[in-house]
Amino acid sequence: MDLLLTQEEIAFRDEVRAFLEAELDHDLRRAERLNPSFVAYPEVGRKWQAKVAKKGWAAPAWPKEHGGPGWTLAQRYIFDQECERAGEPNFRGASIKMIAPVLMRYGTEEQKRFYLPRILSGEDLWAQGYSEPGSGSDLASLKTKAMRDGDHYVVNGSKIWSTLAHHSTRMFALVRTSDTGKKQEGITFLLIDLSLPGISIRPIRSICGTHEFNQVFFDDVRVPVADRVGEEGQGWEIAKYLLEFERGGSFAGGALRALHSRLLKLASEPLPDGRRMIDDPVFAVRFAEIATDIDANDMLELTAMSKVQAGGNPGSVPSSTMKILRSRIRQAIAELAASILGRDALRWEEHRPLHELPEEPEIEEERKVASALYFNSRSQSIFGGSNEIQLEIIARTLLR
Amino acid sequence: MDLNYSPEQLMLKESAARFLSEVSSFEFRRQIIASEAGMDEEVWRGFAELGWLALPFAEENGGLGCGPVEISLLMEEMGKALVTEPFLASVVLAGGLLERVGSAEQRERVLTPLIAGMSRPALAHMERETGSDLGCIATQAVRDGNGYRLYGRKALVLGGASSDTFLVTARLDNEIALFLLPAGAEGLARKTVRLVDGSRACDLMLDSVRVDEQDLVSARGGVLPEIEAAYDRATAALAADAVGCMDALLAATITYTKQRVQFGQPLANFQALQHRMAEMAVKCEEARASALLATLSVDAPRTIRIRAVSGAKAKVGRASRHVAQEAIQLHGAMGYSEEMPVGSWFRRLYAFENSFGSTAEHLARYGAIVRDPAVLAGGLLREPEAY
Repeated sequence: MDLLLTQEEIAFRDEVRAFLEAELDHDLRRAERLNPSFVAYPEVGRKWQAKVAKKGWAAPAWPKEHGGPGWTLAQRYIFDQECERAGEPNFRGASIKMIAPVLMRYGTEEQKRFYLPRILSGEDLWAQGYSEPGSGSDLASLKTKAMRDGDHYVVNGSKIWSTLAHHSTRMFALVRTSDTGKKQEGITFLLIDLSLPGISIRPIRSICGTHEFNQVFFDDVRVPVADRVGEEGQGWEIAKYLLEFERGGSFAGGALRALHSRLLKLASEPLPDGRRMIDDPVFAVRFAEIATDIDANDMLELTAMSKVQAGGNPGSVPSSTMKILRSRIRQAIAELAASILGRDALRWEEHRPLHELPEEPEIEEERKVASALYFNSRSQSIFGGSNEIQLEIIARTLLR
Repeated sequence: MDLNYSPEQLMLKESAARFLSEVSSFEFRRQIIASEAGMDEEVWRGFAELGWLALPFAEENGGLGCGPVEISLLMEEMGKALVTEPFLASVVLAGGLLERVGSAEQRERVLTPLIAGMSRPALAHMERETGSDLGCIATQAVRDGNGYRLYGRKALVLGGASSDTFLVTARLDNEIALFLLPAGAEGLARKTVRLVDGSRACDLMLDSVRVDEQDLVSARGGVLPEIEAAYDRATAALAADAVGCMDALLAATITYTKQRVQFGQPLANFQALQHRMAEMAVKCEEARASALLATLSVDAPRTIRIRAVSGAKAKVGRASRHVAQEAIQLHGAMGYSEEMPVGSWFRRLYAFENSFGSTAEHLARYGAIVRDPAVLAGGLLREPEAY
């Protein structure tokens, strides 16, 4: 048992560092710093994706046969740590991390051949179609209907909280194909071309002032049966597989460390009245407590990774713990950073994206985005299975 | 990087759990802590027979050459079983320190009987005034012919109530030196102190205690860093003990709420309580992760070690307080009584929080290190050269 890097891993880390040093330019870093959201602005994300794809590193978790680098879990971990430390724009959302593994596992050869290269190149951007206005935590109650009509499904209903749907070309969606039996068994997984007639998209601005979410409406949208993944009624199983897939292979430690480092920088700078927050004992206590939480999260990630590497499963209690812990850490950092602003917290910059505004000294820009980052951080304990759902999962395991 | 326990390590944990559940029931523990000695000689002999007293020592010193991971596994089980025998004090703290600073003759003299279960050394370093600065001690060593005389007081010597040998620190020519003393030395007075977790420590009064030259273990600068490292090793081990207590509290709370019926159903059916238990589990996982980081860092260079150990002390301290308080609350009035083990784990965790430096002191020690941007930004994986 140890925390040591091998010589190969050290060489790999240095190669990643050199790449980031050379390719992740000032404008990209600044755009990401000024982005209050958890996903990059599409034009920023695309620019960065093109550079990373050229290196063959756009999809770290993909096997070689589909154009991925075929890395070990440890390499993926190191890659993530380095990219986050360097402040890369986060473009690997629903496309690379979610729909691609589903297609690799459940897709037909034809679906894989058609869709996977388009994801890798950035030609297709995918949106998620899970939640509905009436189905959030109780996802299996979803009502968007897909009625079979010859070689097509006719889709009617609405999906909500679809991140970047307004920039996306396609959506993967859970739809209802049957109302009989268990509600989970009537769910089917569909790939929907967002340019099809009958689709309309309503933007939803979040409290951080950014347009990332959307509501998507389907009005007699005809989706070819060939764009179904798996069998009819297999949708719930596929959605669950995706959750499982993420376990042991989704890392947040690098991002958390990067955010905390930004907070340290902000707190080390003299305020208008000359004080430095890092010298404030109350601030220092909170700052250190959060750092201990980040260390704990890192150890949980590394432990989960070790289990997966040894052919095991991290287990539901550690997995849900990580989800809860990460959200709390992000929120704690964002809150503490915003607390530094003083009266400047009242100032609000409405323009989006912020990186289009004339450049100012880094600290001024950090102060400008701090409130929005705090507002955005509240979403962390809601999406991807709220913290209450995570507690529910843990309780069910404990009290079984 | 690999954080999987080896099959041998898992076997050790399992056999420790089995042995301790046989010899250390809650009823037995209640009797032991009510007894004069606060520990059981037969249990101690059991530790010796199982090889636990030999575990961390090098093979050349008669030990088994195991590492901090094995120690942490034992400590977790000892926490669960509410062990009051001074394994941490004698084996990890005093034995561990002597192995690193003692001469071959002194190692033979102290470690061989310790491993055989015939002797229990204790480290007498801290004094009333010693806070987070371990160098703050007043006990004096004065040269006396071909030996020394010691004057001073030591406070809360862990394992000191039943020890036959003391490792005593004292100022010698303004440096800190370490001496070996038999418990029966003339001028040495021992006062047993009952601790909040039911174990026993002692206060020592040293009034012109004569020490021979051969009992001077180490002087001249080198010993204080070793003492600090020994306390860090003990702190990491104690964090594992605390994790064991937290796990036990969670398990006891689940069992209790499943069988306690109110309003016509088991308490565990109420979602308000289910989520509080789930939150306890979250804290247990977080604490386990932190404690493991400390365990895997005790032999690393000082900065890495301190960051891991003090970070874990602070994190486990905070998490354990939450779990301990919730366990009492969910047990209701029964949790508040001494009749159930919950209260014993609660008090043991309170002792953890206040041993080897408080949660706040360790957070400050940790904070001083992670304020360095390079340390904060760096992850936990390290290069082999870092050792």
